[in-house]
Amino acid sequence: MDSRPASPPDNTRDNKMQWGTRLGIILAVAGSAVGLGNFLRFPGNAAANGGGAFMIPYFISFLLLGIPIGWAEWAMGRYGGRKGFHSTPAIMGVWGKGPVARYMGAFGVLVPLVIYFYYVVIESWCLRYAIAYATGGIGVDPGAAVAVQVEASKAYFGEVAFSGSNGVVDANGVHPSLWFWVVTFTLNVWFVFRGLSKGIEKFCLWAMPTMAVCALIVLGRVLTLPADPTNPAEQNVLAGLNFMWNPDFSVLRNPQTWLAASGQIFFSMSVGFGLIINYASYLRRKDDVVLSGLTAAATNEFFEVALGGMITLTASVVFLGLAATQANSGGTFSTGFFALPVVFARMPAGDFFGAIWFFMLFLAAITSSLSMLQPAKAFFAETLGLPNGRATALTAAICLVGNLFVLWFSKDLVALDTLDFWVGTFLIFVVAGTQIVCFAWITGLERGLKEAHEGALMRIPPFIGFIMKWVSPIYLATIFGFFCWLKVPDYVRTITGGNGTPPNKVALYSWGLIIATIVMLLVVTKLGARRWRAAGMDLDGRYPAPDEDHGGTP
Amino acid sequence: MTTLAWIFMLVSVGFVVGLTIWCFWKVLKHQGSD
Repeated sequence: MDSRPASPPDNTRDNKMQWGTRLGIILAVAGSAVGLGNFLRFPGNAAANGGGAFMIPYFISFLLLGIPIGWAEWAMGRYGGRKGFHSTPAIMGVWGKGPVARYMGAFGVLVPLVIYFYYVVIESWCLRYAIAYATGGIGVDPGAAVAVQVEASKAYFGEVAFSGSNGVVDANGVHPSLWFWVVTFTLNVWFVFRGLSKGIEKFCLWAMPTMAVCALIVLGRVLTLPADPTNPAEQNVLAGLNFMWNPDFSVLRNPQTWLAASGQIFFSMSVGFGLIINYASYLRRKDDVVLSGLTAAATNEFFEVALGGMITLTASVVFLGLAATQANSGGTFSTGFFALPVVFARMPAGDFFGAIWFFMLFLAAITSSLSMLQPAKAFFAETLGLPNGRATALTAAICLVGNLFVLWFSKDLVALDTLDFWVGTFLIFVVAGTQIVCFAWITGLERGLKEAHEGALMRIPPFIGFIMKWVSPIYLATIFGFFCWLKVPDYVRTITGGNGTPPNKVALYSWGLIIATIVMLLVVTKLGARRWRAAGMDLDGRYPAPDEDHGGTP
Repeated sequence: MTTLAWIFMLVSVGFVVGLTIWCFWKVLKHQGSD
């Protein structure tokens, strides 16, 4: 007897949510991808890993991982939406045909949720910097030597991030950064509560062009900077571009370079986060996913390579010189919060450009953080049957705990770093791997591509099918193997202790937070599965979607 | 700035700018015909 459900029950108000326009969802997905990593992490990563030569593994990762897995996520998400599902566990369960994929899908909620725990804190720092620049600067003396200015920038950053000690209160009372976090957090919750088209889409339609304008203003200023009169031969725009782009091919033999490139692509494109699946689940059946996915990816690359790759290090070399730039461009924070404030202190009208720059970073961060809240909200709505307001409130309450944890354990940013490594890097590989296996192997490539081509405005080139099935999983597994070999032991030692160092308690607490969150998500996934089964929903992907015109699952 | 640095910069930036313009051109063309 065919017991397939005639149509999925409308178990959540999220089912009624839809994107307003094609451009809206493209900019929302691009907005989720364009974030701090584009402007701060990418240039530092490229310069530290061979300059122009870094672009070889970078574009290879873009072609072999970013684009194929991104398209798979878009197709999986839209199909899941047609079956009445919007959360990653449910959609992965459909494509992976059973509970293993469904519970692995819970990691697709964990990743954005836990990244949000620290990301919104960094976002609030950008707001604080923007307001400080708009109201007179951050106190770096324009006439001081570079080394003194760098120290002043570091001191200001330490004050903003409260990285000297744990807790949120000092001798002067409640830490001021807390108020900026309150404003940022409230804005995030408000936009997510407003829903897709009225909240996230409307904000991204305004924020993305504004970000582009702000970045182009700063780019125009940087590319027209005069050479430093004290050292014109080494401190000019071309020397800055040369520092960023001059290739060193010897790094291509180092696995670390390939790891950095693929990590950059994953983090930057939001692939493997579980959020494209959620966003795409609100598309209609005949809405295009192929051209939309490519456009969102291309927009992200434009912000990263054409803007991020041209601005930060170029300006830094002009004002700080090569040695100081090299010393302060190793990581996201050092480029953005140590080197750039010195640039703004030495630049004419630096406070104005500083305000524009950090406001743009704030917008880039908020379009990303909204996309981290939405998958969790959709997950709680459909697993527990909550209406929009209560699902938003529950998500906000969990994030509140996570945010306060990161704000409290701020000393040396250990909590932030631990969460970023294990969830923001390690688990992204796991989620992306699960997604591509479900798409290309468990459901099958042919059916997956057929689903992707429903309503598509362009065809996926045939060779991408081969990449999805063979190259992406193998390349991903290889990179992940190198990652476990090169990076994981150091982080394990921070928890277990070793080499004469005791275990780091905050790293241990951070692990506790990750484990508690994943246990909660797995339990809620189980409750959701029970609920979906009772409602007659096809949670194991056994039957075609109600409006499907080809037999069988996708 | 070395010749190789120019080549890598222009090819990389040209590729992403070209791809972005092409994609948005296609999207906006179809947006109009919807």
